[in-house]
Amino acid sequence: MNPTDALLGISRRDMLARTGTGLGMLGLAGLLGSKVTAAEAKRVATATDPLAPKVAHFTPKAKHVIHLFMNGGPSQVDTFDPKPALVKYHGQQPPASGLKTERKTGGLFKSPYKFHKCGQSGIEVSEIFPEIGKCIDDICVIRSMHTNIPNHEPGLLLMTCGNTQPIRPSMGSWLLYGLGSENQNLPGFVVLCPGKPVVGPALWNNSFLPGVYQGCHIQNLDPKKVIDHLQNRSVTPATQREQLDLLNGLNRLHLERNAGDDQLDSRIRSLEMAFRMQTEATDAFDVTKEAPATRDMYGRTYFADACLTARRLVERGVRMVQVFYGNGQPWDDHGDIEKGHRAKAMDTDKAVAALLRDLKQSGMLDETLVLWGGEFGRTPTSEGGNGRDHNHHGFSVWLAGGGIKGGMTYGSTDEFGFAAVENKVHVHDLHATILHQLGIDHEKLTYRYSGRDFRLTDVHGEVVKGILA
Amino acid sequence: MQLRCKLLIGFVVLFGCGFASAADDAKAIEHFESKIRPVLVEHCQSCHSAEAVAVKKLRGGLLLDTKAGWMKGGDSGKVIVPGKPGESLMVKSLHYDGELQMPPKGKLPAAIVKDFEKWIADGAVDPRAESTSKTTGIDLKKGREFWAFQPPKASVGATVDSLLQAKWDEKQLKPVAKADRRTLLRRATFDLTGLPPTPDEVEAFEKDQSTDAWEKVIDRLLASPRYGERWGRHWLDVARYAEDQAHTFAVKPKTNAYVYRDWVVQAFNSNMPYDVFVRLQLAGDLVAESAGDRPTRIAALGLLGLGADYYKNTAREQAIAEELDDRVDVVTRAFLGLTVSCARCHDHKFDPIPTRDYYSIAGIYYGTNLTDTPIVPDVEVKIHAEAQAKLKAQDELVSSLLSRVGRAAAIDALAHTSKYFIAAREIKSGKAKLDAIAKAKDLNRYFLERWVKFLEPANAGKVPSPIKELFALKSDAPEAEVLKVAEAAQVALQKLDIPNIGNAGKKSGEAKPKSNDPLIKTMFQDPSAPLLVSAADAEKLFLTKDDRTELEKLRVELEKRKSSIPKPPLQAPVISGSGQGMKVYVRGNPATKGEDAPKGFLQVLSGSKVKSGKDYTRLDLAEAIATRDNPLTARVMVNRVWAWHFGRGIVGTPSNFGVLGDRPSHPELLDHLSVGFMDHGWSVKWLHREVMKSKAYQLSSEPDAANTKVDAANMYLWRGARTRLDVESWRDSLLAISGQLDSTIGGPTFDLKDPSARRRTVYAKVSRHDLDGLLRLFDFPDANVTADKRNSTTVPQQQLFALNSEFMLNQSRAFANRLEKQSGSDSERIATAYRLAFQRPANSQEVELGLRFLKLPSRQDDKLTRWQQYTQAILASNEFLYVD
Repeated sequence: MNPTDALLGISRRDMLARTGTGLGMLGLAGLLGSKVTAAEAKRVATATDPLAPKVAHFTPKAKHVIHLFMNGGPSQVDTFDPKPALVKYHGQQPPASGLKTERKTGGLFKSPYKFHKCGQSGIEVSEIFPEIGKCIDDICVIRSMHTNIPNHEPGLLLMTCGNTQPIRPSMGSWLLYGLGSENQNLPGFVVLCPGKPVVGPALWNNSFLPGVYQGCHIQNLDPKKVIDHLQNRSVTPATQREQLDLLNGLNRLHLERNAGDDQLDSRIRSLEMAFRMQTEATDAFDVTKEAPATRDMYGRTYFADACLTARRLVERGVRMVQVFYGNGQPWDDHGDIEKGHRAKAMDTDKAVAALLRDLKQSGMLDETLVLWGGEFGRTPTSEGGNGRDHNHHGFSVWLAGGGIKGGMTYGSTDEFGFAAVENKVHVHDLHATILHQLGIDHEKLTYRYSGRDFRLTDVHGEVVKGILA
Repeated sequence: MQLRCKLLIGFVVLFGCGFASAADDAKAIEHFESKIRPVLVEHCQSCHSAEAVAVKKLRGGLLLDTKAGWMKGGDSGKVIVPGKPGESLMVKSLHYDGELQMPPKGKLPAAIVKDFEKWIADGAVDPRAESTSKTTGIDLKKGREFWAFQPPKASVGATVDSLLQAKWDEKQLKPVAKADRRTLLRRATFDLTGLPPTPDEVEAFEKDQSTDAWEKVIDRLLASPRYGERWGRHWLDVARYAEDQAHTFAVKPKTNAYVYRDWVVQAFNSNMPYDVFVRLQLAGDLVAESAGDRPTRIAALGLLGLGADYYKNTAREQAIAEELDDRVDVVTRAFLGLTVSCARCHDHKFDPIPTRDYYSIAGIYYGTNLTDTPIVPDVEVKIHAEAQAKLKAQDELVSSLLSRVGRAAAIDALAHTSKYFIAAREIKSGKAKLDAIAKAKDLNRYFLERWVKFLEPANAGKVPSPIKELFALKSDAPEAEVLKVAEAAQVALQKLDIPNIGNAGKKSGEAKPKSNDPLIKTMFQDPSAPLLVSAADAEKLFLTKDDRTELEKLRVELEKRKSSIPKPPLQAPVISGSGQGMKVYVRGNPATKGEDAPKGFLQVLSGSKVKSGKDYTRLDLAEAIATRDNPLTARVMVNRVWAWHFGRGIVGTPSNFGVLGDRPSHPELLDHLSVGFMDHGWSVKWLHREVMKSKAYQLSSEPDAANTKVDAANMYLWRGARTRLDVESWRDSLLAISGQLDSTIGGPTFDLKDPSARRRTVYAKVSRHDLDGLLRLFDFPDANVTADKRNSTTVPQQQLFALNSEFMLNQSRAFANRLEKQSGSDSERIATAYRLAFQRPANSQEVELGLRFLKLPSRQDDKLTRWQQYTQAILASNEFLYVD
């Protein structure tokens, strides 16, 4: 069916619901509310690819998101939220506050690390992040984060999908649905993780959104293996070109008999796109194409390559890249936090800082929102003498680029860093803010499913205006 | 519901009067105006006011912009108790004391909190006007007037065609010409079986001049077992069928999930009446049993038996509430086309479904379990259990024989403890060799070797007296002393009451209970014990001839019993137990329980004889749905079947017949078919025939400019629709055309990751945790929730599968092989390829194109021949993927 004709003949709602090419339009309907113009509708309707770029609600500050997910839950009081009171009251019981976490914890436990004032802004950062500390003037630390449940599964799900059960689309899926992707030769939402984080695929699930909005999970950074069926091992590229020409010939003869059918035409184009993807995707994931100096700047670890890959992907128009630090829940230091956190910090500090510098130097930091953080924080009290338990009452994340004010802290936790008290930011608020920076009103990006308009932030979420540049 | 509102209003009025006199206190008003009102406006009212309601930002159901608002309280109950700041939740939350901390953006200065305490202590004087907002109730009587809640009415004298024609006339649409027979057969065969017709079938139909040729085709296809595989899969989308859970913590995949899948396939193939189909899925365990129908009744319970099982840790009640939502959502959307889940946190905003109704249904499932149960008749379960018991008994005879033998040998050796010890000492000190001294002193080599190992110094710390003393002997201790200590130990040991210590092996029977006596453990039972005799060792070393004969006899009987044991009874995943009923969770929060919600059915669909309460069962729910009296049940299924045939339902939202769903495009037709469906014994196959015999079903898919102007979406079915095959049909057709399809019906699942798998896709593993890449890529729905239709997206990753996947290459090779077996020229083979793949002759352009390609010289590095490359192009073509 021809969607242009559809516009003339039937109501917009009918068209949205019924045209085969209407998938993109559903997002558009939600995005533009009643203000959809015929011209806009037509523009999007002719773009038969559901991943084609779409208009935002308002001028976006950022086009891409890189989420550096420190899965397992880094401790705020050992990283970005210094608490001198912990030194003073080390070993003592915290004042009775009734704050429950997953397990029972003991007395207050001072950070084993020193904090240093960094940058022009003088924000204090833990000694385990010397390089990130040097970038602090580009970073906004939110010290007043809180979430709902102190268990990994619901915590991870809330952070990635806005719900504690695995039944909602992930933020990356929402972004693709709302905005499409700028590069049709690459997946629009890429998840890099060696192995799987706890919970696994539900964290990048499309759920009730169409399957094309699913995150593409990549474990192995080998460029030839990143996407399923990317390589043909049976024929040479020249032969495959000839074979594709034959296929195009067959399809064109078929199309001639069924002139004007967009879905047939669209698949012909999609085949060509796939052919190109074989080389372009391989290229995008190939960090060996970077100058050795650049690679040295990031470091030569898996995580460093993942950060570098993230940059290569957003530079090519990928909407969102989520880099999980590692398999399972590596930041989950219930015991010996001193050793555990230091090791992971050492493994990531250089690469994270390199990513920020690299993006900044190329001007891309302005349009790329970088988020660093875990699914929750950790208790300022000790578990087993030298570890820390999960803590959903208060934790820190940081944002950089994408129209966020750098060199600032926002909100605060109590004296000991247990619970967020001032300018509290819930995970829903963080999501609302990220969407806002990408030009989306989180209350308007909806999908009608099961008789209800669903959204990433459910019935919650407020944009944290205080951190916008 | 309405009663509750009245009570509430009465309460408010009474309560308000009690403090009215305080309003005269000018000082109190001044305190409110200067200290309280500005704070409320600045910090509270963005979420707690009529304005917040207007922009859908009201939080916690609490209004603070009027006196009536705070007097009514919110979801957490009353927030202010005038005169009692200590009992007022508002004060507690201002102090950030507990879970509720207000305002959420940060604690207010202590002075302001003090102002609030004073205000409440003085009686909470509030001169603001009464609220104008009304509590809205649900008017069930008015709700029943909505079309979907009205009973369906038959149109006397009408037919499917006449009702479709009426709409064409009304909209001035002219249906296009009828499709040709080849197109029609292709359409019907894919539609009913998910596979292409064979060239012979096409030829037969094209040649059949009889008037009922088309009816015969329909009947043939409906009788094929391939029909149930195709239409069962449609239902499995609705049933959100899968074998596992979205998370993997503390849940195992249900490897027997296929029992439900096979039940669904079989139900369609056997044309199970739809009302029975509904009843069994909801309450198969509770319906009256008739001979031999247990497997059918129980396997049906997989609909909910394979439901969501969420991770429960810190927020257990919340997780259970989510599971209940899965049950309520699946049951009400699948069978009734109602979004009852929308009423979980508040009354349904559009449909006449109060929150209480949600919990009335949820309560039917609150406390039920997801378990496995045998689906064979009880007598078979009993036979299996008895056979198991007999096997076990025989096994025990074997082990007790070996145990007796081992025990006798050990006790025999015990009597010579002193000799064994001294000999072992000599071996350890290097004075003697094991074999030599065993022979010389007439000791058993087995026990002596164990003694040597036992005397390792590492064991010294673990052993009790008098064995400790043996270990304590110095290596240079005089012989006499050694002998004395050893004999003392022997005497002590011989006094032991040796229980049945046989260590009859791990394999046969259960381990014998361990003794509590540390000495017995040390000597007979620990892995290092010198007198330990395993069943295997007893058999190897200590059997007498008689023992051996007896053992062999026992073993023969054991093997006999083993081989005669019947297969373990097949288990099905089921929902079991009965629900306990619930109270309403206010705002969906399990922590705030509201009024009672007696178990029962939706009030809007309940007639005068309403049954509800403690004794309400899943069967009652099933009966309330699977009945002619329910205006939705038949309509919803008829519409689903229609939608699966045409790609669009008469109601465009098959799982939502509510106010926000679409209105029927042909209401009379929907009713007409629904009444007929019930009149014909809820026969789904009858429905297929009605639909497929209609003129609309048989139209060609050619466009028409005039019609397009009126109805571009083809809502009124003036032409056939060109549709993309779903992933199952596409993959199955590839296998069918390549000649590789394995048509085995039912049984455990296979993994699509295996590129050489050849079974139909309906039998592939479906995962909620990690949906197979191929399924996901081609728009298979997320199996965590019920799905009423599939998307059809086109993305390059799909084409990568067609171009590069091992599966596709396998089919291309097999298809080429199939063609190469046929003698003849290249052009003859091309013609065969077209007949097989597209069920039509190739035209000259197509033959030409093929020949040109096949003549291209091959490249050295290519692992596919030109023919194989050619067949791949045929299989990957649009014509293969789309059906007219």
